[in-house]
Amino acid sequence: MLKGTTANGETSGPGTTVGVNVALSGTLKDQNDIHIYGLIDGEVISERTVTVGKTAQVKGPVRGNIVTIAGVVRGSIDAAEKLELLDSAKIFGSISTKDLVIHSGAIFVGKCTMPSDFDESGEPVATDEEAVPVHVETTASESDTSEELASADTGEADLKPEEE
Amino acid sequence: MYYYILEAPSNRAVRQTYQRLRDTLTNLGIAGEMVASSPARTPEELTVMGLEKGYSTIVAVGGDYHINQIATIVMNRAVLGIVPINASKQVTDLIGVTDIKAAAESLKFRRLTTVSTILVEPDLPIFLNAEIIPPKMAKISLVIDNRVRAFAYFNRAVINRSLEIEITSTHLTEAKKLFGLFEMGGNVITSESHFHGRSIRIVTDPELPLLVAGKPIAQAPVTLRLLPESLKVITRRGTVS
Repeated sequence: MLKGTTANGETSGPGTTVGVNVALSGTLKDQNDIHIYGLIDGEVISERTVTVGKTAQVKGPVRGNIVTIAGVVRGSIDAAEKLELLDSAKIFGSISTKDLVIHSGAIFVGKCTMPSDFDESGEPVATDEEAVPVHVETTASESDTSEELASADTGEADLKPEEE
Repeated sequence: MYYYILEAPSNRAVRQTYQRLRDTLTNLGIAGEMVASSPARTPEELTVMGLEKGYSTIVAVGGDYHINQIATIVMNRAVLGIVPINASKQVTDLIGVTDIKAAAESLKFRRLTTVSTILVEPDLPIFLNAEIIPPKMAKISLVIDNRVRAFAYFNRAVINRSLEIEITSTHLTEAKKLFGLFEMGGNVITSESHFHGRSIRIVTDPELPLLVAGKPIAQAPVTLRLLPESLKVITRRGTVS
């Protein structure tokens, strides 16, 4: 297994997995895949795949090439290639991706930006840099959303197993 | 020529294995100087003696702890050869052989693989996996590359020579009582986490020993640092490290 270091100083290796009973704060940066099942307060950056599992809660921006969300993300998501929101996903923040899949049941509150070669009138745009902003409102009930916001105050104490 | 350091033989079977090894090495034409460790002469002291005599290849013959002790002295100074006797899978996987005959042949062909090791600050290197195993679920906190801070409850933490740490925990959720009589549910939750970095500080609550081959070598809190490509090891041809 070969390990190296990028210009930014982050290590490359087998990837990172944040288990279900782990709370993490800071910038989680990996050249390889990142799998999250626990709590993260900070930025998540991967050059490859980021998977936010059903049990995961992320408070901060998520950036990756292919991003799959099944848990809760409170922050922006930037997926260079593809973003998939599974039915259990709850996103409170803006998203940006070229290829978007939202499964029925997913909650998304925020703004969506999809870089495209066409403008709003369907005419080709001069550069690839411009994006078409789309505003999406959630279809979730008010009680669902407020319940989620209330559960955002998760801390270290939440990790304590109920019974050993 | 090779300098062989044999682990102090624990029984007659091991002595016989050493004799077979001597014969095999002689037949292959790589029988060098052989010394056996004892309480009076530790593997570390024998390794230093071998290096002072000018040997460029030190061969550790024995189990995990013995191999680790020799490797920590050899790193950045000479080439390490390994003949595993009652060694764990991590050793046999690294060198790509499980028996002494194949190990002796690998020594003859001398294919070198460079591997990383870790340093327990301030000055204790580790070659083989280090473990922290609490008697019951305990708390661990990590600071990785001074950038990420992580907390977890754990049953076992394993740190390998590439400074990859695996943290596992298993616990039962509380069973629900139906009508205050019958217990329902109680799921087993297993958590597995993997982190890696160039520097990891580990703090446990309570303070727990860091074990190599089951023997304590340090006590948490500890700071581990990656020593990239610091040891040349003789491996079997075609082995992928």
